[in-house]
Amino acid sequence: MNTGDSLQKKNNLTGWAFISLAVIGIVAFYFYPMLQALLLSFKSGVGANLEFTGLDNYKRLFIDTTFRTAVSNTFLYLIIQVPVMIILGLFISVLLNDSTLRFRSFFRTAIFLPCVTSLVAYSVVFKYLFSADGMVNQFLMNLHVIAEPIQWITDPFWAKITIIIAVTWRWTGYNMIFYLSSLQNIDQSIYEAARIDGANAFTQFFKITVPLLKPIILFTSITSTIGTLQIFDEIMNITKGGPGNATMSISQYIYNLSFKYSPDFGYAATVSYSIVLMIIVLSIIQFKVAGDKNG
Amino acid sequence: MKKMWVLMLVTVLLLSACSSGGGGNTASEGEQASNEITIWAWDPSFNIAALNTAKEAYAKDHPDVKINVVEYAQNDIIQKLNTGLNSGTSNGLPNIVLIEDYRAQSFLNAYPDAFKDLSSNFTASDFADYKLGPTAYDGKQYGVPFDSGVTGLYYRTDLLEQAGYKAEDLQDITWDDYIQIGKDVKAKTGKDLITLDPNDLGLIRMMIQSAGSWYSKEDGKTPDLAGNAALKEAFVTYKAMMDANVVKLNSDWSQFVAAFNNGDVSTIPTGNWITPSVRQEASQSGQWAVAPLPKMAGQPNSVHASNLGGSSWYVMNNVPGADQAADFLGSTFGSDKQLYQDLLNGIGAIGTYKPAAEGEAFSKEDEFFGGQKVFADFAKWTEEIPSVNYGINTYAIEDILVVEMQNFLNGKAIDDVLADAQKQAEAQLN
Repeated sequence: MNTGDSLQKKNNLTGWAFISLAVIGIVAFYFYPMLQALLLSFKSGVGANLEFTGLDNYKRLFIDTTFRTAVSNTFLYLIIQVPVMIILGLFISVLLNDSTLRFRSFFRTAIFLPCVTSLVAYSVVFKYLFSADGMVNQFLMNLHVIAEPIQWITDPFWAKITIIIAVTWRWTGYNMIFYLSSLQNIDQSIYEAARIDGANAFTQFFKITVPLLKPIILFTSITSTIGTLQIFDEIMNITKGGPGNATMSISQYIYNLSFKYSPDFGYAATVSYSIVLMIIVLSIIQFKVAGDKNG
Repeated sequence: MKKMWVLMLVTVLLLSACSSGGGGNTASEGEQASNEITIWAWDPSFNIAALNTAKEAYAKDHPDVKINVVEYAQNDIIQKLNTGLNSGTSNGLPNIVLIEDYRAQSFLNAYPDAFKDLSSNFTASDFADYKLGPTAYDGKQYGVPFDSGVTGLYYRTDLLEQAGYKAEDLQDITWDDYIQIGKDVKAKTGKDLITLDPNDLGLIRMMIQSAGSWYSKEDGKTPDLAGNAALKEAFVTYKAMMDANVVKLNSDWSQFVAAFNNGDVSTIPTGNWITPSVRQEASQSGQWAVAPLPKMAGQPNSVHASNLGGSSWYVMNNVPGADQAADFLGSTFGSDKQLYQDLLNGIGAIGTYKPAAEGEAFSKEDEFFGGQKVFADFAKWTEEIPSVNYGINTYAIEDILVVEMQNFLNGKAIDDVLADAQKQAEAQLN
């Protein structure tokens, strides 16, 4: 008995020693800053002159029209972006999973390639492609689709479209890779059996592929949701949030509050925590809607 | 024994993790004798070039002082300053930093002890009056005023001539006359009058400053939008310009520059710092001239001079070498007449140091501008710029106005536009 106990203790201690480094790192670089940011969100003031103002910042959130605009823009991206990326990613991955397709790896690489480009670099390229005298307008005009250039970046409606196109281009391949990898884990015999039973490609897709990919779809929709709620680089570099806040996202508003205006880090932290809250709520909803009962 | 080992390992790890958070600031930092000055600035062809000129001038008398000029984008400087100053450590901050005048009050207000009082290092009254508002705080002079953002109306003489306009026709005009010129030029040549970025209300800023008005009241904090007659007229003028269909939209600096380098627009009302970019297109030499800025018809105190941008030098208090840095600024940008001649000859940078304006460099004729003495004109206009307090909220208010401007262009009534902007500004700024 005694020896067993001490052995257990020893094992425990060794275990703690092994994970201690990671624990210290996580506490110091994740939890501590998170706690500090939470405390900061109860303070207000310009720059270093912060004073404790209780819930004032949280009250300010509810009357802040710029924040409201940023939230509704971000949710617009979310509502369009996440389904588009998931459906497109699924569709492409099923096509590319077909073993009879030639140049499969070429297509896979081509579609995944945008994900390894730098966010800033691709944003800048998109900005020039979609500028008033840019390639997209010239192409459309040469095809006589449009008579005069579309103001892709300086018109409130088209600016949003430009952002959505850019983000779709950048991230679809990322989701596709997840689907591809899990598609390869689906036993081909299931499809064979379905075919023998007379199921066509559509039925196979909706009755076999989608249900079996459900956990992965849930995973990608949560990561895409989190990513979209934090969208920053594209907007900062393509439209700077304009014209007139038409494309401004929550993250960009945080940046503006911290660095573009007279710095109010307290309120910026409050806005950051509103994103945290939204992510938590949305993830719970997604788990409830898409998650399996048995997890 | 082994247990002890593990415990020790954990303790050491814990301690090393903690020590970085604890006593990071070493005491010796402040006492370190410094013969090295680090300076942050942006724009290699303008501010950095000016710094290098000043560095050479200073090196004549101070061969032992090493000056490091570091180039960052303006946004990066703001970000680094804010994060550095907020974390309470001066590690990694420079001795001297360039800050845009619109932002200066916000920095001086947000970090009261971070900047060095330079009142005794140079004579502030030697500089253009309108520069002293942004650079002084609480009765003390913190910034050494640098470049002038004095504005002018750059125009293509050849294009305007085709529409029947001569240099005299541009001398004492209002913005309404200006729009009329734009319509005529467009009818005759098909070229737009002006290029604007809908996210940037620089034109509005120029207009209201020419009438001695700003987005906030004299205290620099209270938003002054709803009852601001100059702002109202500026908005109406902006919309008139849009409605006249003489505006080519751009969405960033490079498109802005391309618009006039390609010859797509016939005028640029902006700050004099645009000169190097205009010159970039050598084939247009002799086709440009600069007229005084139009004034606002309905504002009795509006003048033909205004300011756009401009920046000044600041010394960081808590970085070792502050005194040396203050001396450098005082004896170069703060008092060196010859330096300002060199800046003009070499870079075309117009300073705001009054005694330098009599120098020969200012009276040079410029071939690119058809033999016009542009520097002399700009120097004259610099003295006429109305002084306003930019306050601490220029960019925050402008972001509100940019949205309301879109609403206004889409048909919302002007009084509602400004009243709503006022309400929002009051709710968001404190």
